[in-house]
Amino acid sequence: MNAAGAGCAHCPGSGCLIRARSVLLAPAARRACSSPGGPASRGSSSKMEQTCDDIDEMFSNLLGEMDLLTQSLGVETVQPPSPKESNKEYNFTVGFKDLNESLSALEDNDLDALMADLVADLTEVEQKTVQAQKTSHYSQSEVTQPSTSVCAAASYDYKSNVPVTTTGRFEDDLPPPPPDPAFNLPLPPPPPEPLTQEELETQAKADKIKLALEKLKEAKVKKLVVKVHMNDNSTKSLMVDERQVARDVLDNLFEKTHCDCNVDWCLYEIYPELQIERFFEDHENVIEILSDWTRDSENKVLFLEKNEKYAVFKNPQNFYLANKGKNEGKEMNEKNKEFLLEESFCGTSVIVPELEGALYLKEDGKKSWKRRYFLLRASGIYYVPKGKTKTSRDLACFIQFENLNIYYGTQYKLKYKAPTDYCFVLKHPQIQKESQYIKYLCCDDQGTLQQWVTGIRIAKYGKTLYDNYKRAVQRASLASGWANLATVKPAVTAGSSLTDITGTVQANGQILQSIPPARLEAQKHTEMTKDKKPNDVNGCRSVQPTSQPQTYQNKRASIKPPPPQRRSSAVSSTPLQPAQPKRGSAVFTSDPVTFPPPPPEMAEDLPPPPPDFCEDPPDFVPPPPPTCSSSTEDLLPPPPPPPPSQASLSNKPLPVTKKVGPPPPKRQVNTERTEEPKSMGLPPSGGGSGQPDLMSDLMKALQKKRGNTS
Amino acid sequence: MAGLKTASGDYIDASWELSVAVEELGPEAEPLTLRVTGDVHIGGVMLQIVDKIKVKQNWSDHALWWEQKKLWLLKTNWTLDKYGLQADARLRYTPQHKPVRLQLPNRRMICVHASFSEPVFRAVAGICRVLSIRHAEELSLLRAPKEKDKKKRKGPVLGTEDEFDLSGVVLPASAEQQPFRGMPAHFSDSPATEACYRMLSVSWTGLTPEHVLKMPRPSNLVEKAQINSRWLSSSRSLMQQDVRENEQLWLRFKYYNFFDLEPKYDAVRITQLYEQARWAVLLEETESTEEEMMVFAALQYHINKLSLSADPTETAGEQGMDDLDSALSNLQVKLEGGTSTSDMLENLTTIPELKDYLRVFRPRKLTLKGYKQHWVVFKETTISYYKSREEALGEPVQQLNLKGCEVVPDVNISGQKFCIRLLVPSPEGMSEVYLRCEDEQQYASWMAGCRLAAKGRTMADSTYQSEVQNILSFLQLQRASPDAPVAPDAEAMGTQWLVSPRYQKKFKPKQLTPRILEAHQNVAQLSLTEAKMRFIQAWQSLPDFGISYFVVRFKGSRKDEILGIANNRLIRIDLAVGDVVKTWRYSNMRQWNVNWDIRQVAIEFDEHINVAFSSVSAGCNIVHEYIGGYIFLSTRSTDKGRGLDEELFYKLTGGHEAL
Repeated sequence: MNAAGAGCAHCPGSGCLIRARSVLLAPAARRACSSPGGPASRGSSSKMEQTCDDIDEMFSNLLGEMDLLTQSLGVETVQPPSPKESNKEYNFTVGFKDLNESLSALEDNDLDALMADLVADLTEVEQKTVQAQKTSHYSQSEVTQPSTSVCAAASYDYKSNVPVTTTGRFEDDLPPPPPDPAFNLPLPPPPPEPLTQEELETQAKADKIKLALEKLKEAKVKKLVVKVHMNDNSTKSLMVDERQVARDVLDNLFEKTHCDCNVDWCLYEIYPELQIERFFEDHENVIEILSDWTRDSENKVLFLEKNEKYAVFKNPQNFYLANKGKNEGKEMNEKNKEFLLEESFCGTSVIVPELEGALYLKEDGKKSWKRRYFLLRASGIYYVPKGKTKTSRDLACFIQFENLNIYYGTQYKLKYKAPTDYCFVLKHPQIQKESQYIKYLCCDDQGTLQQWVTGIRIAKYGKTLYDNYKRAVQRASLASGWANLATVKPAVTAGSSLTDITGTVQANGQILQSIPPARLEAQKHTEMTKDKKPNDVNGCRSVQPTSQPQTYQNKRASIKPPPPQRRSSAVSSTPLQPAQPKRGSAVFTSDPVTFPPPPPEMAEDLPPPPPDFCEDPPDFVPPPPPTCSSSTEDLLPPPPPPPPSQASLSNKPLPVTKKVGPPPPKRQVNTERTEEPKSMGLPPSGGGSGQPDLMSDLMKALQKKRGNTS
Repeated sequence: MAGLKTASGDYIDASWELSVAVEELGPEAEPLTLRVTGDVHIGGVMLQIVDKIKVKQNWSDHALWWEQKKLWLLKTNWTLDKYGLQADARLRYTPQHKPVRLQLPNRRMICVHASFSEPVFRAVAGICRVLSIRHAEELSLLRAPKEKDKKKRKGPVLGTEDEFDLSGVVLPASAEQQPFRGMPAHFSDSPATEACYRMLSVSWTGLTPEHVLKMPRPSNLVEKAQINSRWLSSSRSLMQQDVRENEQLWLRFKYYNFFDLEPKYDAVRITQLYEQARWAVLLEETESTEEEMMVFAALQYHINKLSLSADPTETAGEQGMDDLDSALSNLQVKLEGGTSTSDMLENLTTIPELKDYLRVFRPRKLTLKGYKQHWVVFKETTISYYKSREEALGEPVQQLNLKGCEVVPDVNISGQKFCIRLLVPSPEGMSEVYLRCEDEQQYASWMAGCRLAAKGRTMADSTYQSEVQNILSFLQLQRASPDAPVAPDAEAMGTQWLVSPRYQKKFKPKQLTPRILEAHQNVAQLSLTEAKMRFIQAWQSLPDFGISYFVVRFKGSRKDEILGIANNRLIRIDLAVGDVVKTWRYSNMRQWNVNWDIRQVAIEFDEHINVAFSSVSAGCNIVHEYIGGYIFLSTRSTDKGRGLDEELFYKLTGGHEAL
């Protein structure tokens, strides 16, 4: 489970051979890691500078090598080791489904190259160990992996440690790129402004390192297929990766469902056995939550609207002022609300609503309820012991919120003879069965219940809650804005993705002459879009909608475009301009079909793992016209969903696609042919066997999914 | 020129004699007498005085003070007539800035020059500029308690032994203070001032339980209200409020509305705020529960420990650096620190394990089984135990994933008992397991591993070693009871001083230390500034935080009640029980008036709610200023470019005396 193991996971599915300078790179890279602060890093002596230069050079060398490799992918020539190469070379191989994928996965390789270098530093003996580890991973993953398809609730696979190739694939397929917060910052290789190479040197360095780190992480990303129940009793399955928080998953679902995206939508977990339920907070890591469920769990995840989720931000007075001045009406003007929120959430510390009162507490193991006087404080829930006053010093701690989640208890009157049905439950997230460690409390009425639940959430999550809300509002307003913007948007997308590309290029130390004009154009577009945006009431509102889509795109772009870019540099540059709108439109219309239609060849590929390195042209020649489209699919994360766009894609040489496209189709076929067999064949060990399983699972899910949406 | 006279010596113009006392001539000296007419302006009078004194010195800070009227004659172009000065006026020619002895929020004394002629608001701003505390509007001055109060205390008051002198400090003319060697430039003049800066920006580590015990503690709301009667009025000068040269005053954060706390610039401010918070907690001015007290104690312990080694200049520098940067440079140092490549790889790729024979105990209902020896392997976040070492390849007796579990120390040093109690969550509930270690070292390394694992981290985490050290040093704390000689450093002093006297009495050190240790594990990784900020935040989230109490009599009520003034609301509190009777928020406030004749504050809220009260424990003007001050502070904008609207402040707080 360490980095080395993960990095090596690439090896099994092999297509191209990449020789990387190992020893040189590894320590340098590591040193580089210590200064991603870039320009900000102070105290860096000239020595440091020098090192950085070295790293830079090495990076570009490495990338250059890769470019060459990409070019020669089909030809199967192994790149002659560069002169600087040290004796200790470490060969490792990476498998790809096809050329396009290989391109998009190339970034992974950078990283993997790094990792491989790390590994290469070890002796060969150690290499063997790593191999062994790897295989053990596979067997593990096989063990943990239940049949993928979905059982009653949300079934999930442990795909951790599965060969990266697959992961990479998923990534490509996952249409709405995980708008992962973690992702937001580190990922974008694109420096904010395209500057000259020299100016950007430090920035680029930092970016590269960030990218590398990101890739490192990505290498062991765990993914689950989660079945989400919709409020119309249908279900949707979607792929959730380890880094995604509830917000990301919601965004995914928004795209799939065409709902109104308002802030009340939430993921809602239900424990039928305990009769408890709660909504996920937007910042919570979904996989983490789901991992606490037992394998045979009946728990479900729902996608529905819950007004309670952000009620406190819509009407803070009901929570913050409720107990005070009784004359205070339920109504409050917006300005005062804002003021109240500001006061409560934006200070040095968050203010937890003052809340105290008698609640019923279920006694351990009995169905009897005892009335006690409870107080909520930021540090926990307290009660007043018998015969004591409610001054702070006399209070006894009932519970603190660390390692606790709060749930609503449903129908407890029936189940536990609760005095009312307004119950809430506090338990450790991992507890799934009845236990003395679960605390049951019962309120007199619905209002009190809401106050307590909300109060506890505020005490537990603090300002995060408010941030979540603000993000949700942003998302909602964005959604409403989108309708109008559909026509304009593409430019934005194009612009941002392009910028990304150039950034990468520079980072790699290769200058693409054809790019700048296009980029400028794109930027203009972007600006225009911004202007056109319907400016909402205030400045911040108007800004956010714009920035949001961009970052959103960036993420996607940052994942994908760089490789094509490099490729295009290697192959020959083509006018990028036309492509942009296309890509954009694809992105935006992609709502209905989130999972790209599984590329037909893929399905074919999987079952027959061809023997090592043998080329099997006839089998794999994809139907001629699809070549192009299939490549598009792979490349474009949000597959052009509606058929028309598909068609257009395949007809026209697409820009983004096109970057890939330039090499004549024939060539692509070639490469595909060569690669795929390899990817299947190379790992004679567990990898090969593990992979098809996964892939077919995935396919199933995809197809199912597709069936749902279409 | 005034003073025309006839041959007989009678003055024939309208001139008269003005007597002016000049301190520089000595206390016994007769006042100077000047011959003036009513149309002489003040500047002219001062010129005459200087001429007459014939002492060569810088008189530029001097001004005339009219004793009867308690008035500074600062407008030099005004004539005596305009000021209404007559021959009976007694004037003093005296410096506008005089030294005062300030007790800072950290209870230490400092001597500074303060303006005696400007309103206290400005005087405080001046003092804070010297001390490098931003947002001086949040602070103000109080009179020190009367002598008789002081006598109750037996020993010397904390910190009075060494008083720091900053009276000689000259501030740079520019408003911008350039940091020099990590501290504001004016502190780097001499070693003495540097020491002073250290005192200001690093919390004092020499505290003993006695210090806390000796401090007067308010035991009820009425006593808490007393301190608020001592605030000086912000809109009048120190001189006008009969503050004398070298008098002792307290400098405190008065308004609990801390704006823009920024570790980069606020080293002193945060430290002083932390100190005020710490004392409020220790003296139970702000009440906290037992659990909260343990967290406060742990934070104090942590801050104390870090402060021992802290270099103020370094903290300032460090704070300037981005977290990422510093983390990375640390990493760099580590990586370049000579370990060979393979070692590094080892570190990167292998996760340390612990394996040993430990005694394991699983309490179950109706079993009396005790501890049983097992071979225990701790890998990543999982503990597995086997019947014996030889069986370690087979199935473990049990495997526990410690992620999210609760780790509680169960240690008795004198009994040589080193137990770790684990509450491990599982789908069925929590399972309880005790691990018993042989000695401290073993205990520390396992305990540290458990703690990290509970947070989902492995022993490969960089904090593992420091965690082990922490635990060992805590064990040391417990050990250092009777036999060990009391070492001068703070660690040996035990943990008693970290909690308020109530809890000092309630718990024996033996009980206290493990609890603090338990709380400490959650804060052990904080940096010094972070820890202080955390303390301040925890303090702020106490329900009692930021409420200033006054004993008042509401209109129409016949008994005294308590009025609590907080930064966003007024609270009417039952004096006897302490229950909140009613709360009014400023945001609903329409207007408030003070009837200075009957000393009554009348406030009108939305929906025609009218409240009127007179203040019993403090001057009506203090209550008025408190409310006005909070409203003023809420008008501060985040726009840093804009200065404070001082006029508004006086308008809101000054009442009829202002202007």
